[in-house]
Amino acid sequence: VTGQAFIALLPELISTGFLILVLMVGVYSDSNAGVAASLATIGTLAVFGSAAVLLATGFSGSYFGGGFVVDGFALYFKLIVAGSAFFAVLAAARWSGQTGDAPEYLTLILSVLLGSTLLVSMRDLFGIFLAIELATIPSYAMVAFDRSRRESAEGGMKYLITGVIASSVLLYGIVLIYGVSGSAMLQDVADTFSGTLTPVAVLGLVLMISGFAFKLSAAPFHFWTPDAYQGAPTSAAAFLSVGPKAATFAILLRILLEGMPDAAPTWTAVMAFLAIITMFVGNLFALRQRNVRRMLAYSSVAHSGYILAAFAAIQGGGVVFAVQAVLIYTAAYAVMNMGAFLVIDLVGEETKSYNGLVRRNPGVAASMALFMAALVGIPPLSGFFGKLWIIIAGAQSGSILVYIVVGALVVNTVISVPYYFGIIRNMILEEPTTETARAKGSGALRICVYVLAVLTTLFGLLIIPLSALVGASGLA
Amino acid sequence: VITTLIILIPLLGAILMLLLPDEERLLRYAALGISAVPLVLALYVYFAFRDDLGVAALSQDVTWIRSLNIGYRVGLGGLGFGMFFLSTFLTVIAVLASRDVQRNLKQYFAAIFVAEVGMLGVFAAQDLILFYVFFEITLIPMYLLVGVWGDENRRPAAIKFFIYTFFGSTVMLAGFLAFGILADTYAMNDLGGGGGLSRTAQIAVAAPILFGLLVKVPAVPLHSWLLDVYVSSPTSTNVLLSGVLPKLGTYGLIAVAVPLLPQGVEPFLPYVAAFGVINIIYGAFVAFLQPDLKALVAYSSIGTLGFILLGAASGNAVGLNGAVFQQVAHGLYSALLFILVGVIAARTGTRRISELGGLGARMPWAGGLLALGALAAMGLPGLAVFISEFMSIMGVYATFPVQGVLAALGIILSAMYLLYMLARVIFGPIERPAYEEIGDAGPAEMASVVPLAVLLVVLGVFPALLMSIQRPAVDAVITVIGGS
Repeated sequence: VTGQAFIALLPELISTGFLILVLMVGVYSDSNAGVAASLATIGTLAVFGSAAVLLATGFSGSYFGGGFVVDGFALYFKLIVAGSAFFAVLAAARWSGQTGDAPEYLTLILSVLLGSTLLVSMRDLFGIFLAIELATIPSYAMVAFDRSRRESAEGGMKYLITGVIASSVLLYGIVLIYGVSGSAMLQDVADTFSGTLTPVAVLGLVLMISGFAFKLSAAPFHFWTPDAYQGAPTSAAAFLSVGPKAATFAILLRILLEGMPDAAPTWTAVMAFLAIITMFVGNLFALRQRNVRRMLAYSSVAHSGYILAAFAAIQGGGVVFAVQAVLIYTAAYAVMNMGAFLVIDLVGEETKSYNGLVRRNPGVAASMALFMAALVGIPPLSGFFGKLWIIIAGAQSGSILVYIVVGALVVNTVISVPYYFGIIRNMILEEPTTETARAKGSGALRICVYVLAVLTTLFGLLIIPLSALVGASGLA
Repeated sequence: VITTLIILIPLLGAILMLLLPDEERLLRYAALGISAVPLVLALYVYFAFRDDLGVAALSQDVTWIRSLNIGYRVGLGGLGFGMFFLSTFLTVIAVLASRDVQRNLKQYFAAIFVAEVGMLGVFAAQDLILFYVFFEITLIPMYLLVGVWGDENRRPAAIKFFIYTFFGSTVMLAGFLAFGILADTYAMNDLGGGGGLSRTAQIAVAAPILFGLLVKVPAVPLHSWLLDVYVSSPTSTNVLLSGVLPKLGTYGLIAVAVPLLPQGVEPFLPYVAAFGVINIIYGAFVAFLQPDLKALVAYSSIGTLGFILLGAASGNAVGLNGAVFQQVAHGLYSALLFILVGVIAARTGTRRISELGGLGARMPWAGGLLALGALAAMGLPGLAVFISEFMSIMGVYATFPVQGVLAALGIILSAMYLLYMLARVIFGPIERPAYEEIGDAGPAEMASVVPLAVLLVVLGVFPALLMSIQRPAVDAVITVIGGS
């Protein structure tokens, strides 16, 4: 291992180091919640910082025989994952302390972080599979971690079973692709996936995309999502729905663009259908929910659909914008969805507990209103820019099918207004009742919510320039 | 820079309102003071730069998203300045007329100021995406103003308003994006005359844009969100809701759709004119049947918006000048009527026309001003509305004679229902003994309506005050679209 490779692996090495430290705290000390939480906070910050420095210095290269690559694209997603892990740790600090198992829970967050940061740098199909498993297996435990609630165990179980099936489908697809191309490296796969595809190659591609669809909770493979997110501790649902998910979208994008660019007509069509089904399923089911967690779970299905719409637009003149759209949308979604989940931790998961919140707790209510409006896509909040880029990419793709996808996206945006605004209505227009939550939760959590609200509002000024920069230097 | 300053002051004002202590008198005076600042600055712009506003002066151009050529581009032009000024003016009036709002005053004023940011921004935007962003910024504060401070029917009304207009503007955004992508820029002054698009492309782009704008206006039959919202809102929200908000749509028509997509809107213009006629006639008929005074004013307001559509569709200088002028005149008279309805309802405890009567004897000032507003609405010469309605009809008659004749008939209909309303509300015997006791409008209420009435008269007698600013910009539009 050369010095260069050592620097390239810095974020991963740091998260491994802190993972071990936090675990050791759990083993050797009894009253340890505070120590573990501060270590985990520092750890996530250090990962974020190292990735930021690498990105700022323009570091790039490929190592270990080309299987591990560091470029602007990978570093950008490492920032998203580490940032969301940072907020998840802060959100989990007090709760996990009360369970008495803080170090274990925080270790799980750090290992998901490690898996996800590795994942976005992989260029080898088997490496990708291993990194996905490294990120997913701890997340089963995270979902089931809340032993005080039955739903947590139930959600964890469902997540585990569907997750294992998804992994085997994914692995089967990868093996078929490997069998056809004789190599698992993406650049070798690209040679095979050109011209007319053999039936085995198409089967491998479809199986692999299906496996990813499970992981990304795309319909019709989304059934685990509502139960898992409803049962999971809030910090787990918040983190899993944004961080690892962004990394999974990133690696799917890398596989498709680097590994099978010539097969684009096939996979964009698959993505178009997945996107349309996913958007409608997510939004229509979200409309009927009375539980905010469950509503946000279906909302996350819908947002997966929006991002898949960007994948469908990777053709014609839309390629550059579609890749940028994925970069922007995942960051925007991370900010606003993380914020919305953290508010659930502060307020509660029944829609009734939001009644009249603005009088009890104006700051939190205003932040939640911003997150909801951003999830709808009202300008100039974060979600608007994601949708803007997808529509632009779609309009430039020059494909009728993609135009239909974009039309479905516009229709779905309007369908989603009632359920997001239902929360705003409850908070602002209804009178407070006895069920209205008093302010609870730690000060740190509340500061996190405010920071995320500011990021959501100023997204257009802060993050758009960064992602446009990365998009220009990255894959496309 | 001064343009940006005027747009941002209300935003600072909104933040300031939220920080102030919760004391009613202080809040009302502070809100009045904050709302006066943009008005004073707008007046300064008028007197200092009235001769060189042209198409877009005092502009600022900062690149925002380079890869898409989207910029923060603002400037004040002759087409937008009238409404820009009116927005600052009506915000002051709305603050003055907010007596009926008692709960959560500071949040109320903050919401009004955020809405003002959006309104001012739309009339100053010189970039399509920025136009859309400001267009949507008005949405959430208006939703809150109706939803929190409206009457018992407010919640369904507010969400209906939101979904309708959000759908409309999303469709409009799709049109803007297609336009920008095809023309490779979103800067309005690079897009004049179609930005190099073919006629077919222009038509394809114009259709969604027109749809979104017509929902906002609203053109009948896209108006079904409107009545509940108008009737449920507090008076001061009505001032903005009827005075400024529809003009976001008509201004888009006049300053975006027509000059930037001349060939694209051309096939639609007869229908836009027809929508204008339908608005006028439908509004008049339905207003006639309303038992509720506020609903009557609401339909009257929809009706006279039709003249703006007519003028915008005419494609000649007379009609366009009329439409631009009518935007301002309509805002003045409908704000006046809505405030007076609020005053009357507060005194008598009812808005049902059948229960009112003979109020003129007890409320000579309020009654007289109501009569003035009604006369303005039916286009009495000497008042501002007359000039613009007349010009709109003249303009549209030259292009679409049938629509022009029908619109002129509509004026007669509106005279009928307005005079009938006056007869039942102001004149005649005093309907109920209780009305013997009521007093006239108080000083605060007078302060909110008299400036409106004065401006109606002043602009009616000296239309050149506004016409001289808008004429060069209208001429520029005519040059672009190749009309006369």
